[in-house]
Parts: sequence; structure tokens; C-alpha cells
Amino acid sequence: MDLNQLIGRASGLAGGAGAALLKQLQHVRVPGAGQASATDDPEVAARRWRAVTVLREPADVDGAGLPAPLAALGDRIEVRTTPAPGDRGTELAARYRGTPGEDEIGDLRAALREAKALLEVGEVLRVDPQPHGTRAATPHGAALEGAAKAAPREGVL
Amino acid sequence: MRAVTWTGVNEVSVETVPDPTILNARDVILRVRRTTTCGSDLHLLGGYIPAMRTGDVLGHEFMGEVVEVGPGVRDRRVGDRVVVNSFIACGACWYCRQELYSLCDNGNPNPGITEGLWGQSPGGCFGYSHAMGGFAGSHAEYVRVPYADVGSFLVPEEVSDDRALFASDAVSTGWMGADLAGTKPGDTVAVWGAGGVGQMAARAAMLLGAEQVYVVDRLPERLEQVRRHVGAEVIDYSTTDVMAELRERTGGRGPDVCIEAVGMEAHSTGVQGVYDQVKQQLRLQTDRPSAVREAIMACRKGGSVFVLGVFAGPVDKFPLGAAMNKGLTLRGAQVHGQRYMPRILEHMARGELTTEHLATHVMPLEDAARGYRMFKDKEDGCVRAVFLPHG
Repeated sequence: MDLNQLIGRASGLAGGAGAALLKQLQHVRVPGAGQASATDDPEVAARRWRAVTVLREPADVDGAGLPAPLAALGDRIEVRTTPAPGDRGTELAARYRGTPGEDEIGDLRAALREAKALLEVGEVLRVDPQPHGTRAATPHGAALEGAAKAAPREGVL
Repeated sequence: MRAVTWTGVNEVSVETVPDPTILNARDVILRVRRTTTCGSDLHLLGGYIPAMRTGDVLGHEFMGEVVEVGPGVRDRRVGDRVVVNSFIACGACWYCRQELYSLCDNGNPNPGITEGLWGQSPGGCFGYSHAMGGFAGSHAEYVRVPYADVGSFLVPEEVSDDRALFASDAVSTGWMGADLAGTKPGDTVAVWGAGGVGQMAARAAMLLGAEQVYVVDRLPERLEQVRRHVGAEVIDYSTTDVMAELRERTGGRGPDVCIEAVGMEAHSTGVQGVYDQVKQQLRLQTDRPSAVREAIMACRKGGSVFVLGVFAGPVDKFPLGAAMNKGLTLRGAQVHGQRYMPRILEHMARGELTTEHLATHVMPLEDAARGYRMFKDKEDGCVRAVFLPHG
């Protein structure tokens, strides 16, 4: 294996590692910050309702069927909408009917965020392709790229 | 096109990169006329915010001319001369409707990175790392501006490019700090940091009716700018005890409003300065919060402290006891510029808000590496380097 192949392979691994690291970071609590309470059992955590609040009336959220990103998950999820207090719009929540894996939870996070953007703005904000200069093939760069690619599917949602 | 890219810790270069394109219906493409360095760029440059990818285009404070308009844009036309806020906000979510634009729910396509860090994700920012959305920055011949109807503002004819440029961030950030800290007529306001944002926070406090305004820094040329162009009083922390000085000048009360405009790489004197430097270099803390600590200690009982400087993570030796027992209001934010820019441009048009003096070093985009070096090292009295992408 020549040097370029080695760097390419290291970058590939780093990209996967970046996404994995981001996933792990969601479960890390900075010492002393947000560490006061119990930690969810993984089964409970996976089964929780995941919710976004959408600044639209409930009828606009599910009146004419679910937004496409959520509809695409079909019967695998259950969805509920609730008027949010204080004129904040509608709470749009969803969870899997069974116990989902990490990838499925990622799908749901991305779908909820996209649904919210479609309802509030009418489109989902894109960021790629963007102008950029030469990207050196470094493990840090690849890890960051992996993390950024995974970011729409990660987070505490 | 030519653009300024981050190529490594404390390294930038000017490269030929692809032109930006319209990606969303509400985008415009701007031909950049002026774009400037901001102190918060230094945290990116220095690797303190480790979410920069080699080749990322820097820059978030800019103005220019609209050259292309997406099909969903209502109010912008080709040829409009506009100044754009550094934060990207949709204008439609609950936060935007509360005029808390930098908290926009739909402005950061990478929410997973900052949600883990902070519990929720703020909006996106031009040229400010993949943690803040991964948007290409403005140090380029052209830049894509998402949500252009919300984030771009027509520059009145009587306002020059040089003046309008700073409405993008320095003035709107400073104004927000003075306003959201609750500055009222008759108040005494102290501002830590005499960079562009600190100077403009002081000027905004004066326009909001503050009776006494003090600015704290150590650089003589910046303190002189405060005296001459802002009209506020100055305190040099390298030669005097700031808290004692403020007590003496405020009848023992302390300032009603304290605004921190320094951020995570604060300089300070004595043991505290060394302690924070060592901890930050060892990566035991991400931020050096010495100005925030001093602002909390100096503030009058029941007063208000606003953090405008950029911070990223947890800090220690934070005087929480002082904040609690003195009944302080502690607040911070990235810039909700869209809320203030119309008013700021009116003040600029009337000559009540001048910013040209901040642009101490104006140069072609090709000289950006030199510009950033001068800005970082505060060489030759550099307050801001301004780049002209089209000469």
C-alpha cells in the first residue's frame, strides 16, 4: 500500500470515527454540567418521544397529512401533535413503535428537523456544495467532515 | 473566484475556489465590496474552535451588491447595495418572531454538533466553522446569502460602504449588548474591550441615553479611538485597578450595566492571567474568562452583565456567588443583528454613528494573510483589517 492509499484509508477511517465520535459526544456530560440526574436506560432512551415545536397551527401541521420526511417513515413511527403553550405553535412529536437502533433514531431526528423547516420556511436549508479551497487529506479534516455529515442526524433531539 | 481560506492553525491563504451558487429559493449571491476581520475570527484561526476544515472560506462581516436572486426572494433586486448580518436566520420560527435571530431554529444545518455541546443549537453564521453551519464566508469575491430577505438590508445612499460595513456585526453586536443589558437614560455603563464591538457597545449605550460610559482596555491607540471617535471615558487596565477606578468614578456604586466585549482569549494581568493561559494551553479549559469575572465583580448590586465576547465551553473560577448575592442579571448572545440594523443604518445616515475609524488597514483581498497577522498581533495600531475583493 503506497502513502496515498494509506492516507486515504486513514481518512476514511477518520471520517467514520468523526461520525462515531459525534454520536458518542451526545451521551457525554461535561463534569459538573448536566450530570446531576439519573441516566436513562438505553431502552427507555430509544423509546422516548422526540419533539420539535413548529410555529404553525395544529391544522397546518397534520391537517393535510404529515410532512413528507415524516410520512416516509410510514407505520414504523407514531406521531402526535399538541398545541404548544403560550402561542408557540404546535408540538410535533414522534417515536418508533418498536425499539429502534441508533441509525433509525438518526433518521427520525433528521425527518423531524426537515419537517419543521418545511412547515415554517417552505424548504430545507442546504449548505453543500459550497466554495472551498484545497482540502488537505488529514485525519482531523476527515473526522470533521464525517461529523458534519452526521450532524443533521445527531444531537439531543 | 479568489477567497481567503483557513489552512491550519494561524495560517490563512488566498486561493482560487469555485463561485457560489444559489442553493435555496430564498438565496441571493452578493458581489462583496467590503469584508472585515473580526476578533472572533482569531478563535477560529488559533484552533480554539476545532471545527474548521482546511480550505474553509473565512469572514462574516461584510457588505456588497446583489448580482443574482433566487426565485423565492421577495424584496431584493439585482444591483441592490446591501449590508448583511453575520448570523443566518429564517425569519419564520418562534425565535426569529421574538427578534432573537441568532437563535434561529432553521439557520444551522449541522445542529448535532452544538446540541451536544450546549443542550440546544443556535443559528448559523457565515464563515464560522462547521459547528455553526459550515457556511462559506465573505472574504471572497462573491458570497451566497441564505434567507436574503431577512438578513440583508439596503444601505441608504448617504451611507458609504466603509461606514455601512460595520453595521453587519460590530455595531449590531455592540448595540444588542447595550440594549438587552437594559441600558436606560442616566445609567453608568462600563465596557470591557475597545475593539470594534466594544467601541460600538459604548457608542450605542450613549445613544440609548447612558450618562457615563467607560471603556476598559490596555492598547493606547484603541483607548485614543474611544476618546476621539466614541466620546466615552477610558480606563487602562495595565496601569490601574479597574474595580477601584470604577468605584471611585461611580460614587462607590459600580456601573449599572457591564458589557464584556473580549471573549475567550482575554488578556489579563498578574496571577489570574498566567493561570488561565496555562489551563487553556493544556486544554484543561477552552476559554479565558478574566473580563467576565471582573465585570461581575465590578457591577453594582442589582445591575446587569452582558457577555458579547465569544465563549465555547465551561470556565472555572466563575464568581457565581457574587452574581447571586448581588442580584445581578447575567445575559449573553450571539448577534440578533436583524433586530437592530434598520435603526443603526438610520443613525449612520444622520452621522450619529461613525465607524470609518475602525478600518485602520484597508487592503486588497490578496493581502489577507498580512491583514490577519497585523490584526492578530495588533501591529501598527491595527483595529480592523478591511479587505477589498474587487480592488
